[in-house]
Amino acid sequence: MKLSVDERWDLIDKIAKQTVKYGVYRHTLKDAIAELTVKPLTGIPFAIAVLYGFWSFFCAFAGFFTDGFFVKLFDNYWLPWLQEVFPGKGGWVYYILVGDPTADNCFEAFGMLTSGLFVAIGVVLPAIIAFYLFLIILEDSGYLPRLAVLIDTALHKIGLHGFAVVPMILSLGCNVPAVAATRTLETRKQRFMMATLLAIFIPCGAQLGIMLEVIPGYVGFVMIYLLVGFFVFGFILNKLIPGRSPEILLDVPPYHMPTARNVRRKLWVRVRSFFTTAIPFVLLGVVIVNLMYLTGFLDWLADVFEPILCGWFGVPKETVGPLIAAFLRKDLAVAQLSAIEMTTYQLVTSVVLVSLYFPCVATFAMLIKEGREGGWKGVAQYLFGSLAALIVVVFLWGGLVHLIWIILGVA
Amino acid sequence: MKILLMGHPNVGKSAVFNRLTGAKVTESNYPGTTVDYTKGYMRLEGKDVEIIDVPGTFSLEPKDKAEEVAVKMLKENKDAVVICVIDSVKLERGLYLALEIIEEGYPVVIALNMWDVAEDKNIWIDVEKLEDILGVPVVPTIAVSGKGIKELVSRIKEASPIDIEKIVEKAGGVEQ
Repeated sequence: MKLSVDERWDLIDKIAKQTVKYGVYRHTLKDAIAELTVKPLTGIPFAIAVLYGFWSFFCAFAGFFTDGFFVKLFDNYWLPWLQEVFPGKGGWVYYILVGDPTADNCFEAFGMLTSGLFVAIGVVLPAIIAFYLFLIILEDSGYLPRLAVLIDTALHKIGLHGFAVVPMILSLGCNVPAVAATRTLETRKQRFMMATLLAIFIPCGAQLGIMLEVIPGYVGFVMIYLLVGFFVFGFILNKLIPGRSPEILLDVPPYHMPTARNVRRKLWVRVRSFFTTAIPFVLLGVVIVNLMYLTGFLDWLADVFEPILCGWFGVPKETVGPLIAAFLRKDLAVAQLSAIEMTTYQLVTSVVLVSLYFPCVATFAMLIKEGREGGWKGVAQYLFGSLAALIVVVFLWGGLVHLIWIILGVA
Repeated sequence: MKILLMGHPNVGKSAVFNRLTGAKVTESNYPGTTVDYTKGYMRLEGKDVEIIDVPGTFSLEPKDKAEEVAVKMLKENKDAVVICVIDSVKLERGLYLALEIIEEGYPVVIALNMWDVAEDKNIWIDVEKLEDILGVPVVPTIAVSGKGIKELVSRIKEASPIDIEKIVEKAGGVEQ
């Protein structure tokens, strides 16, 4: 026998009456904090403070280890030593592994053992650790659902709801788990929109870390520009894509003190996966880009894309190399940009382009995986839909930066 | 035999899973941390038994893709024992899913998780009485500290399919 919904609730009512006793409820400090952080008047300033604190911690932590330690280690000791002892100067192997023999820093050398290791270990690793440490504390404390409640109204304007902020925040660490997290959204429309917007507009932690090194004064501008793009194109996608955007009821859990055990464990799992999946891609990316350069393929590509890159986006044609690398690793691409001769404004435009342009291969694979729910047709929809959105965004939103520089007279 | 860990979002299924298997799946304090299932193994009476951490779901009528995965896992594992993890503070809501699973004919063990939070809130559940009415093992647990997990494991073998009519009778009937 099966019960109807009403019968089941009636039964539960009877069971609960016989088994549960409610004592006097004490309003605790925890409850007071819980309420203050969801009420808009107090909650929004608190949210801004939390996010600003997150950002400050990220910059300070990553900067401390990268500038204070790794830059010195790699530029003053590792690079000169490798250039000195590595045999076969001028040969292909030397070029691929050590890079430019005259370079005096690890951004410009662009060898696998120099720039590759420096980007992965020296810049991105501290950034990743800083980011996840703070994120894990946010996750475990129970603050994320409260942020979701606060931002609900804003996200409704683009056909999503507050809980979509969770994939957004996760995405700032890595787009891959963020795309997976879109599964908690109700409709296919919402999932597709969110996955696409994340993959296009949200830079990952690795990329943020390297941006802090390459364009320290402009990271804020790039972030705001990308976020505005997120909402503008979210608004447009919401109008274009058929489907529902239902309201949800969100369970806001009580605050918990994060346990050291869980924080340690999660940090370890994420850092380990950075070592096993990200670092090989960074190193491989350096090798591929160097091979393409050595065979002359990159120069050929640069000439082919020169009209678009120089004409439409106003960046040097050499940025084609980083744009290729961006498909493998965005952090590597930004590092590579720093070695190309151009104005600061062109550099900022290029960084925006690297962010918007093609999701990295891991995210791409995840998009295909998420599309699979609809069979081959679903994969095709996800892929071509995302690609179409991406191409439009790159040209419009990427071109707009160029236009802004022209209007300001700095292009 | 297989064991499925099921329950509402954010009741601590992944924490129970990590306790039972020694695995390191992600535990967080927001609903929807687990969006796909994870398989693991635990020792039960000298044998390795497969256990699956299932995404949270409110009922057996899925509302999103993560819930679809949960319902699919249940349907695909007809021979499974289900450990139904319930947030002790929200017993009624948790029982809804537990009853649905019992009605489907699965043997169920109930873990009343976050027992400490319920105590803090002055909510007292008569575990013996609840066991008596439901006819399934009910164990208070605090997964993050590991409390009650041993007892939970030791009582898995007591789980057997229960006729819902028996539960209705014990509870004093339902209004039609």
